[in-house]
Amino acid sequence: MFAYLVRRLFLMLVTLFGISIVIFFLLRIVPGNIVDILFAAAGYVDPADKANLEKELGIDQPLVVQYVHWIGGFLRGDFGYSYVSEKPALQEILPRIPITARLAGLALLFSASIGIPLGVISAVKQGTKLDYALRVVSLSGLSLPSFWLGLLILTASVAMFGQMPIFNPNPQTWLEAFATYAVPAAAVGFRSAALTMRITRSSMLEVLRQDYIRTARAKGASDAAVNYHHALKNAILPVITVIGIEAAFLIGGLIVTETVFNIPGVARFLVEAIRWRDYPIVQNLVMFIAVVVVFANFTVDMLYAVFDPRIRFTE
Amino acid sequence: MLVAERRMATIDYDLELKRAGANATGGWRRVLFLARRHVLGAAGLIIMTVFVFTAIFANVLARFDPLTVDAAHALARPSAAHWMGTDSFGRDVFSRIIHGARISLAVGLGSTALGGTIGVIVGLTSGYLSGWFDLVFQRVSDILQALPLLVLALVMTAALGPSLPNVIIAIAIPLIPTVARVIRANTLALREQPFVEAAKSIGMSEVRIAVRHVLPNTLAPLIVLATAQLGSTILTEASLSFLGLGIPEPYPSWGRMLSESAAEYVRTAPWLVIFPGIAISLAVFGTNLFGDALRDILDPRQRG
Amino acid sequence: MRSVWALAAVAALSVLTVSTTTLADEGKQGGILRIYHRDSPGNASIHEGATYSLNVPFMPVFNNLVIYKQDVAQNSMDTIVPELAESWAWVNDNKTLTFKLRQGVKWHDGKPFTSADVKCTFDMLMGKSQQKFRQNPRKAWYNEVNDVTTNGDFEVSFNLKRPQPSLLALLASGYTPVYPCHVSPAEMRTHPIGTGPFKFVEFKANESIKLTRNPDYWRKGRPYLDGIEFTIIPNRSTAILAFVAGKFDMTFPTEVSIPLLKDVKSQDPTAVCVVEPNNVSTNIIVNSTAAPFDNADIRRAMALALDRKAFINIMFEGQGDIGGTMEPAPAGLWAMPKEMLESIPGYGPDVKANREEAKKLMQKAGYGPDKHLAVKVSTRNIPVYRDPAVILIDQLKSIYIDGELDVVETANWFPKIARKDYMLGLNLTGNAVDDPDQSFYENYSCGSERNYTNYCNKEIEKLFDAQSQETDVNKRKKLVWEIDKKLQEDVARPIIFHARTGTCWKPYVKGVTVMSNSSYNGYRYEDVWMDK
Repeated sequence: MFAYLVRRLFLMLVTLFGISIVIFFLLRIVPGNIVDILFAAAGYVDPADKANLEKELGIDQPLVVQYVHWIGGFLRGDFGYSYVSEKPALQEILPRIPITARLAGLALLFSASIGIPLGVISAVKQGTKLDYALRVVSLSGLSLPSFWLGLLILTASVAMFGQMPIFNPNPQTWLEAFATYAVPAAAVGFRSAALTMRITRSSMLEVLRQDYIRTARAKGASDAAVNYHHALKNAILPVITVIGIEAAFLIGGLIVTETVFNIPGVARFLVEAIRWRDYPIVQNLVMFIAVVVVFANFTVDMLYAVFDPRIRFTE
Repeated sequence: MLVAERRMATIDYDLELKRAGANATGGWRRVLFLARRHVLGAAGLIIMTVFVFTAIFANVLARFDPLTVDAAHALARPSAAHWMGTDSFGRDVFSRIIHGARISLAVGLGSTALGGTIGVIVGLTSGYLSGWFDLVFQRVSDILQALPLLVLALVMTAALGPSLPNVIIAIAIPLIPTVARVIRANTLALREQPFVEAAKSIGMSEVRIAVRHVLPNTLAPLIVLATAQLGSTILTEASLSFLGLGIPEPYPSWGRMLSESAAEYVRTAPWLVIFPGIAISLAVFGTNLFGDALRDILDPRQRG
Repeated sequence: MRSVWALAAVAALSVLTVSTTTLADEGKQGGILRIYHRDSPGNASIHEGATYSLNVPFMPVFNNLVIYKQDVAQNSMDTIVPELAESWAWVNDNKTLTFKLRQGVKWHDGKPFTSADVKCTFDMLMGKSQQKFRQNPRKAWYNEVNDVTTNGDFEVSFNLKRPQPSLLALLASGYTPVYPCHVSPAEMRTHPIGTGPFKFVEFKANESIKLTRNPDYWRKGRPYLDGIEFTIIPNRSTAILAFVAGKFDMTFPTEVSIPLLKDVKSQDPTAVCVVEPNNVSTNIIVNSTAAPFDNADIRRAMALALDRKAFINIMFEGQGDIGGTMEPAPAGLWAMPKEMLESIPGYGPDVKANREEAKKLMQKAGYGPDKHLAVKVSTRNIPVYRDPAVILIDQLKSIYIDGELDVVETANWFPKIARKDYMLGLNLTGNAVDDPDQSFYENYSCGSERNYTNYCNKEIEKLFDAQSQETDVNKRKKLVWEIDKKLQEDVARPIIFHARTGTCWKPYVKGVTVMSNSSYNGYRYEDVWMDK
């Protein structure tokens, strides 16, 4: 077990190192840099001014030097300065994290609390009209572009209530907080809920076919006991995995949703930073996200190992 | 690797049909039987057929040129002449949606095929060869999967520049590890099967075994995965276009039609927002329905 | 000399009377004005930027020496009023512009304002000081200024190489605030210090910009508002929905397109909306150094093929203006008369005849129905750029040109233009002030950094100087018309149209004036108040 843990941790570090290289060089392939953008915004080009600025920001140095400089700083906890705002990168990134985290947490909660029960119902009532209806709903959840859903929600709410859920950094009332976070979370969470429901359903179905369930039934356990006590407990494992993976996909959904609902979270900030070629922000932010995703996967695997005795650690 | 991924997926279809109670011998009857058994899947197949048909015959079906600007009829409501109205340039929305099917299909099929093919090669090689290649593959796939898909696609389209082939590439790359992982897991399981051992013992070359015996047996999960991915690639293109990085104007990509400029008309000209949205959702819905049924048929383990 | 000072005094006095009359319509103190902002400006330093995304939120932080009167829509020499200056005078054969400065003015950090600050600001703009701006887009405005000298703490003089009446107009633009000497350019980018009616509080990129009332403002009783809050919302439909839903008191100025305006009015009939031109022209930059547009016939054919009315109908539902370089009348002060304009090739009302002529030119160049010319039209990936490019491509079809849109990301736009790696480019040119000096020198003079096409004509350059020195306005106008006509005939940078856009606010917002011949100068907001 210990050796397995060490190996996993080592592999995680390798992955993170690889990500740092990929994102660093990928960003440098993207044509244009911050200086081009600043001059585009200023509407003129002056080669001397440009060269000065590139020197000031250190982007005139060889790529390897730039990489070492960045990753060295990253490891020491020095994340550099945003090219655009000229403030410390950390100061720009940190305040935005709780906003996105709240949104993602709510979306996942939404996804689990809607997706799991519906998935169970759908599996237990397999083949019935209810099952069909639920499957169609879940598939449509996977088919609607989340930004379209967001736009429709915004329009509908203005049309019906003359109000719209727009981001409020300091919600005063419970209702405001709800509108600020819950509505966008639902727009993103709809898709995850659909996915969770599908996985729960198929996972439940598989478990229900297993021998020990048959045995339990044969021994006279009630349907409810079988379905909810024996089956669900075992079916939940793949669901955990999927929710873990969904966390990474959620970031994608959050980018468009934060754009539609104008939420100043990290996801939209990342897109803006890419647009501005703000290397320190993009690089560090992507690394933060990668660390979160890698640790989430690690945790899920560990949970799996704890819950499922069939997993062998030696592999 | 998790044990669960190592299950076998070889299927005898005739047996499967019989077991399901099909008294069918001819090809068409089988199809009909399946259609009746998988109503949703049949519906999905119909939607997909319409989608593909539209894409192929867009030139014939479209009533107007999708790029021609017509100032006199800008932002016209849906009418007999313009079934889905016109956009701010007076371009016929119906014709643009018809032509947009081409782009969506090209992106969907193109990126799935590209990502799938590379994924299969990588997965097969990795699962079959093991060793250092496998180790490298595992790390690369870890890296790609730790980066959010949309972020990756975003940086890639920014790097490559917005054009149809580049969007296809950008969406295909994150797909590779997903496909490769499934193929690899299957290959690993198959490698230990008696018939592979047997082939080895009669002196068949490794490449031949991989191509002749292992590959065909991984087709079922591959098809299931590919149809499932088809829908999500279409959605990814739409998201990229919405963020201004997909297929550029004036080409009628559905995502582009929905993006910023169209979003401006959400209240004054709702048809500009509703119809492309429906087109995307319907196409994705169709592929999802069909993919689901396909999975039920090809992958009995998951059957519901 | 004496008479000039007297004149200035009269000017100052008349301003005083005007401001007392506005006082009669007493504004109410208090309230925070909420405006949405269309995008996140890179930094907070007006001198280092060239977009009104910067002027709107940060102009309230500063004062100029002189400013266009904030409650008159049409900027002109007659509406320039003193601000940090108390009066001004042209002396020394119109080669020296002297300002008497206001006393007792304090910077937001409490330090006193003196003539040294003025000298610092303009020395830096001219690139003469130790401290340098990271970017200095309007350096060329001061080409004719030899130096800036102070006489005591409260008098400052601009010494010119030759008379240039327009200098005063440039100094009155929202682009020309006075910066403090004691704050570095880098600090000004992140935390600007000014003397203006509002103090800078914070700027969160992509999120918000907050200003608060300056209680020590030198103008008594101003500003009315307790503060201004800008929330950054790049998605226009979201922003408009939020305005309609009452989350904002005002839209971002001149950012509401004509179709959206209808939306606002239908949803919120009480909203007050104005539509004004804003001196931004949409034009085509032509690469005449490479095939195919090195051929003058093809350039001319392209100019002839333009159906400007169609552009305006599609983009503005008819509410836009056709003109040359200078903003069209009545809002623009320097526009050619209609007959003169229509005599320029491609401006004539008979589009069909123009296009027939264009086709002949194309045939002369070797193209025809069987042999189309393939052309790339490059433009930035922003709707106001992209939309007209789509229409342009459609129109070029009529003269055997198959255009393909080449959408360029902002980061790559200037490098691409500088490399001459384009055929046609669709471009927007915003003019800071409605003045020929600004527009001609900046966009058409040899070697100017913003002359993207490198159009260079020594003959016309002489005319630029001639009009610039002309103190008789009527004579100057004639010269300007002649130049403008010549520029269009040379297809130097064909102007397609001049935009008009809308601004809306809730009925309780008072004292907002949207300028009609500039979108850079009207955002001091000290007279704005809310009747709530």
